[in-house]
Amino acid sequence: MSGLEGFKDELETCFGTSCGFCERGCPVYQDLKVKTLCMRGRNRTMLGLLQGKFEITPAVVQAAFECTLCGNCDRWCALKNTEHTQAFREFLLKHGVEPMKEHSSLALSLKNYGNPWFQPRSARNRWMKGLNIPKAAPGQHEVLFFAGCTSAVTKPLNRSLVATAKLLQKAGVKFSTMGQDEPCCGSTLLRVGQTDAFNELSAANLKKFEALGVKKIVTACPGCYTTLKKSLEGAGSKIKVTHAAQEIAQLVKDGKIKVKKSTERMTYHDPCHLGRLGGVFDEPRTIVESVATLVEMPNNRYESRCCGAGAGLQTAFPKLSKNLASKRIAEAKATGATTLVTSCPFCETQLRTIPGMKVVDLMELLLDSAQDIEKNNGQNKKTV
Amino acid sequence: MSYIDELVTALGKEKVLTDPSEKYVYGADWSPRTPDEFVPPDVVVLPRTTRDVQRTIKIAYAHEVPVTAGGGLTGMLGGAVAIYGGIYLDTTTMNSIVEIDSKNQTARVQVGATLQEVNDAVQPYDLWLPHQPESKWVSTVGSAIACDNDSTFGVRYGKILNCLLSAEIVTGTGEILELGHRKAHFTSSGYKLKDLLAGSEGTLGVITEATLKLEPIPATRRVDMLVFPRMGAAVDYLNRLLKAGLCIEAAHINCKRRLKFYTHSYSLKYGRDPEIPAWAEALLAIAFAGDTEVVETQRNYALKIAKDFEAQLVEEREIVDAWWASKYTLDFEPFKQKWPDSQKQKKFGAADPGVPMGRLEEFYHKYVEIAEKHQLEIIGMNAYLEHPNSIGFSLSCAVFVDYRNADEVRRFRDFHDELSKLAVAFEGTMSTFMSDTYQKAPYLELEHGASLKYMREVKRIFDPKGILNPGKKFLREVGKK
Repeated sequence: MSGLEGFKDELETCFGTSCGFCERGCPVYQDLKVKTLCMRGRNRTMLGLLQGKFEITPAVVQAAFECTLCGNCDRWCALKNTEHTQAFREFLLKHGVEPMKEHSSLALSLKNYGNPWFQPRSARNRWMKGLNIPKAAPGQHEVLFFAGCTSAVTKPLNRSLVATAKLLQKAGVKFSTMGQDEPCCGSTLLRVGQTDAFNELSAANLKKFEALGVKKIVTACPGCYTTLKKSLEGAGSKIKVTHAAQEIAQLVKDGKIKVKKSTERMTYHDPCHLGRLGGVFDEPRTIVESVATLVEMPNNRYESRCCGAGAGLQTAFPKLSKNLASKRIAEAKATGATTLVTSCPFCETQLRTIPGMKVVDLMELLLDSAQDIEKNNGQNKKTV
Repeated sequence: MSYIDELVTALGKEKVLTDPSEKYVYGADWSPRTPDEFVPPDVVVLPRTTRDVQRTIKIAYAHEVPVTAGGGLTGMLGGAVAIYGGIYLDTTTMNSIVEIDSKNQTARVQVGATLQEVNDAVQPYDLWLPHQPESKWVSTVGSAIACDNDSTFGVRYGKILNCLLSAEIVTGTGEILELGHRKAHFTSSGYKLKDLLAGSEGTLGVITEATLKLEPIPATRRVDMLVFPRMGAAVDYLNRLLKAGLCIEAAHINCKRRLKFYTHSYSLKYGRDPEIPAWAEALLAIAFAGDTEVVETQRNYALKIAKDFEAQLVEEREIVDAWWASKYTLDFEPFKQKWPDSQKQKKFGAADPGVPMGRLEEFYHKYVEIAEKHQLEIIGMNAYLEHPNSIGFSLSCAVFVDYRNADEVRRFRDFHDELSKLAVAFEGTMSTFMSDTYQKAPYLELEHGASLKYMREVKRIFDPKGILNPGKKFLREVGKK
């Protein structure tokens, strides 16, 4: 058994337990308070569907897709809830449900342009201008910097990639990029239930990476991080996948990147895919603490709240998505911090739509500090 | 116009769920049942205000349609399952904190707020609501009142009724009433109608708002576990502590089998169950809370007396911490929450009788005997002290139920009924934290005798057409729609 059928035992376990702990902190449920839109209810919906208790209706489709796949429910459970939901979406598409029009356009763009945002492949080269980054070639570099579609083809997000690359260069890390040949990791396909297309893409990606002979892929995108890590590990590849925050935090600790610490209060927003789903909590905080005073939001680390951008929610359910962002910004403001730092292009874009809080990318923050210290020619009082 | 059309007109379509898949998920609670035993209502209403509830009930009254109010759907005996269909009123959509009066240490809330949400809101004022069942993340104030569920801290603070000063309800005719005594802690005036709400299961009215008495958060807490050679020795010890004048915050007597169920995080960490002395038959988990010096003094005195009762302190802190995580903090490893990690094959099911203190051990042996007779895997018994400063037991007599097996679910129900009836024969009560629901309705007269007739009359005053949660407590009258 595969797909949703393969999870039937887990769906029954959820029904048997029915604790409802997944409702705690579920961003969508807490906003809408409809039980079909949280995991206990969604698991029941899947079970009822498999039992033939009802047909696929618009409400069933809504139950499947009105979710950010942020993994909050997994944090409070021992079941693979986000995987259930992905399988639920796949099940619906395979049973004749048309992809939501917003999602089908993402998939169409991916097919035609290699990214979900209808940008030409050449747009991936834009952010690298003047950085003198070598193009990946077989056997040339062990480290591949994987930019990710969203940051690479969205101009305002290029700065984060530039900052990451400059920081790696400053620390003397030798790396290459694939430029316009960089493929999409397929995260979008996976989240909206297009599993077959995702598997096909993943297999092709693996061949490309293996052909380059790289040993490590460093990415600045949390979605790419969890997607590539899981698919490469699942395929038995020895290529290691890390997030840039992990690499750079270590370089800061080793003294290879000099920075200036200020007394400014900043808070850090854990992107779902990097934190709860990726298990990377400490390294971004190491970076923030090296340049500022970190103040935590009440919901942090495993309990971090989704910004509302994930899993197609931003495109298909914009009002709900914005509500979630507003709640997160309100939480950040209440800490008294001047700045919210994050390390995900989706979170950054989403949270910037809410006025009243400065939102900064982790790598840009660090680069500013590092450049500042260089300008002052090492005259600062405290360096880390 | 059908009553559902009237609901849509009165409330707006976003507050009325009619899709079969949506209704389906509201068709079961935490009680042992097979995956085929969903009982969906005919329509789900998501009220936001008391007026929404009133509009709903007036429509239901006019059409004589059942109205079953629910909260977190964590009931253990089907209390909020709409067994006769009709309207399921999901009160969780009403979760506003209306007022926090820190000077008088009260909070006014819409009852769809979870117990945790109330505590999150009042914590900045150094206050808390000490009614704390294990389901507190999901269990709502309304369902805690209507089900009269258990609390970890009952021996000091009692249950929800001890925290409930006043409540707003909508009766079965749609009338809005305030029952209680505002912010006064007690009254000698009138009949105490508010008290009828505890364990009423939404059969007298839908509770919409509540004024709750809060308590100052204790500065420190010490939790310990002692083992005893007999269950009776643990009871005698607790009596001695009360006689000594100690203020116990929590006290739970577990049989030795039950410990395993509560030490999930220990078992995860070490890959084995915790070990206790072979001679130990009972474990007493006990907590003191308050200022550090007071707590230490009380704890030291309690441990000194323990020697007179052949008790031994459990020195391995991780056993105690694992138990406390299960009972209170719920602080399990991420992705390894006890629920459902501990019951992937079979689920927890229990009877909830209460017996007098002198018969606890005798009843425990009967529970084991009856569980074995029904061929159910025994989890064990936990006796919570649920009445302030007294040895008043709420018993959780638990078994694992293979809910995929219809015959085992039936045997569980038989077990539940047999123990409930036996508790009355033991001069006790059938129910102490689950209420009666439809399960105990057929034999409720055994507990209440002739007074049951008066209860029916009380119900008739509040709900003349019998539309509120029909089939719960009383069997539904023949001839009803």
